[in-house]
Amino acid sequence: MASSSPRRWRRWAAWGAATVALAVGLCLIQAQAGGERITAARMTVVETVGYQRAPAVTPAELRAGGRPVTMPHAPKPDWTPTAEADPDRIATRVTWYAMAVPPLPDDGRQLYLFAPRWKSDGSLSIYADGKLIHQTHANLQWNGSNQPVWVALPRSDADHPPRTLDIRLQHVRGIGGAFSSVWIGDYRQLAPHYYLRDFFQVRLTAFVSVAFLATGVFALSVWFTRRKEPIYLLYFLMSVVCFARMLHTFVGTHPLFVSDAWFGWLTVNSLFWMLTVLHLFAGQLHRARQPILTATTVANTLFWSLATLPGLLDATLIAAPIYANVIVLGLVVGFNGVVQSHKARSHFAMLLSVWCIVTLLAGIYDLGLQQNLVNIESVFFTNFTGVGFTLLFWYIMFSRYTEALETATRAKADLAARLAKREAELTASHAQLREIEHRELLHQERQRLMQDMHDGLGSSLVTALRAFENDRADDLDAVGILRACIDDLKLTIDSMEPVETDLLLLLATLRFRLQPRLQAAGVKLTWSVGEAPPLDWLDQRHALHILRIVQEAFANILKHAGARQVAVAVRTEGDRVLVSIQDDGKGFDPARAAAGRGLANQRRRADAIGAMVIWEPVTKGSRLVLSLPVTKG
Amino acid sequence: MEPASPTPLKVVLVEDDVAFQQAFRTALAEAGDLSMVGVAATAAEARALMDGPSPDVLVVDLGLPDASGIEVIREAHARWPDCAIMVATTFADERHVIASIEAGASGYLLKDSPLPTIAEDIRVLHAGGSPISPRIARQVLMRFRPDEKAAPEEPASEGADIKSGVPSLSEREKEALQLITRGFSFEEIAELMGVSRNTVLTFVRRIYAKLEVRSKTEAVFEARAYGLL
Repeated sequence: MASSSPRRWRRWAAWGAATVALAVGLCLIQAQAGGERITAARMTVVETVGYQRAPAVTPAELRAGGRPVTMPHAPKPDWTPTAEADPDRIATRVTWYAMAVPPLPDDGRQLYLFAPRWKSDGSLSIYADGKLIHQTHANLQWNGSNQPVWVALPRSDADHPPRTLDIRLQHVRGIGGAFSSVWIGDYRQLAPHYYLRDFFQVRLTAFVSVAFLATGVFALSVWFTRRKEPIYLLYFLMSVVCFARMLHTFVGTHPLFVSDAWFGWLTVNSLFWMLTVLHLFAGQLHRARQPILTATTVANTLFWSLATLPGLLDATLIAAPIYANVIVLGLVVGFNGVVQSHKARSHFAMLLSVWCIVTLLAGIYDLGLQQNLVNIESVFFTNFTGVGFTLLFWYIMFSRYTEALETATRAKADLAARLAKREAELTASHAQLREIEHRELLHQERQRLMQDMHDGLGSSLVTALRAFENDRADDLDAVGILRACIDDLKLTIDSMEPVETDLLLLLATLRFRLQPRLQAAGVKLTWSVGEAPPLDWLDQRHALHILRIVQEAFANILKHAGARQVAVAVRTEGDRVLVSIQDDGKGFDPARAAAGRGLANQRRRADAIGAMVIWEPVTKGSRLVLSLPVTKG
Repeated sequence: MEPASPTPLKVVLVEDDVAFQQAFRTALAEAGDLSMVGVAATAAEARALMDGPSPDVLVVDLGLPDASGIEVIREAHARWPDCAIMVATTFADERHVIASIEAGASGYLLKDSPLPTIAEDIRVLHAGGSPISPRIARQVLMRFRPDEKAAPEEPASEGADIKSGVPSLSEREKEALQLITRGFSFEEIAELMGVSRNTVLTFVRRIYAKLEVRSKTEAVFEARAYGLL
């Protein structure tokens, strides 16, 4: 991508700058270093059996003899030196290196001795001016010989800068006995040498493998919650075997808690374990199923792991052929990984596989170093490629982690988007429903008004029209009919305004409308309404029905009853509200069919709204009770 | 003071319907104590009349051809503050009536009333009695409900003096309105509240006045809220 490439370029530039700065810094530190380097020595070899304690002073015969050699010096080792593992009966050799120290100023300064590497199973003793000043005290085989030697020379009032130095190595015959050049000088001169060596040979691998192990433990706990993803378990196993492999580079100067046999078994075989785990891990990335290769790798690993168990073959002594096997297997695994990653286009598996091959190349060099084929003052490259491996594994896990986070973020955004869409759909469908409801409501309202016009206003006007047509206008109360029509219309209009559950307001409106006609007819109205509960169901449709029922009642009273008094009362009885209209007129028998269409209409309307109309017998006049439910189920 | 023959009430009608004009004329002529001093069929004609002396009662129809009767009421109320204004309506529906009262009317006239009733209504109005329907009473109660208004917009200190300018209903006035919404007549209310019928009429007239003041203050309030004042 065009936008990301400058950023990537800048990142690489930053890494480059940091590397250059580090290199320059190291060079500057090295430039401060000084001291005398001793390379000329005379080597004397004495064959022995088993291990003896070192003499307190250099034997006298050593002063004269010996073959001149140049340090660092390493005898050519045998591939399989001996099958004897018992330290008391093993064929051993004492190799002496006698060196002359160049004259140093005798000013009482603290002097140090520094040797970048020594390479020998067995024990090391160092003599200054013939006196023993330093010796190893740990295991014989895994004795930390990869670590630089740093000895502070004795500094008593009788001591002077030494004139001679003697190195005594007692080791298995056929391997070991190698020693680097020796430096002598004060702290300021030698410390840069020593610390640089110490950091890159010992501490770096120690730090990194411990850190790797820590992240491995983290991965293990991830695996416990995500058992279906073995990559986390493999990561943990990788960190464990890496740690096991790296252990020998930073322990051994003090006695180990396990025997040399077990430590050798662990250190040598861990290379096979690393290969097996690497193969499985890469398989998780490139997803190729390779049962034969996997089985071969595991079988190869198992073979050496079992064959070199303590008591069987000594892994330490025959490390060289085992390492050769590791290189061969590693190349197979590495190249296979490259091919599979290329097929699967797996960036991570490719990185690991390529790095595996790089490590093996470094391993070939290290085998040369182990076999004294290259300068023994060099360092094991695989230590550094191992650090590289750790960084690669971290990179892979980091990428997976950030990828997972990104996926989660995307999923969340996705979810939010889907939710928003769904919500919009719901809102739309809701609006549509409301629209339909609204249309339905309008339709009902129209129906209601049409019905009302048809029954009331329409029929009254038609009656009037027929009468006028037939010249019976004189018999007709034209004003009365028209007034009734207008009253009808007013009620219709009243019914269109919401009454909001208030029955009393509805009745009040009716009274307000009818009052003038009652007054004109000389009828006295007694109005006794108390409290009435709100009727939730009282909408416009219901309101009109109630208005019409009561209006009809009044119309009947005015027309037929000849009443002087009408009493309207509202009261609540249980779950019903009762509206009663009583007059003192002639009265009538509601059972008689002739009671007319008006009563039937009232019943029909009451039915339509779930109410009841009851004509109660009274001594004088009539009494209509409209019974309304408080709530409608 | 002339005790014998009282001066007839001067009435002006603003109405474009000739039939109603005629009926109105007849109603007044029959009454004797009412005299029609002017008729306007449009708002423009009504405005022309407003340059003249104030009548005692002005009757305005809302559906004029050139403007809303509400406008005429508002202007007439400003020009003739002592004139009692009635709105002529067929249905006395609360929307129109309340708008008219807020513009300055103090009553309404039902157009389908019998002619004697029309004359009587004019007399009653002039004497200080305003009609009020249960629905109008209900509307008025709702408008004066304290929690419904004033609460939504209160721009700090300004709100206080405006609020103090908004009249509120007294408990007695509210009680009267409540009874009206239940359908009781003025006589019944007077009896229920233990006051005279005239007191009830005063209540209604005062309530109408408050409604008008309130609508004016509200207009000012809204104008301020919208930054017009």
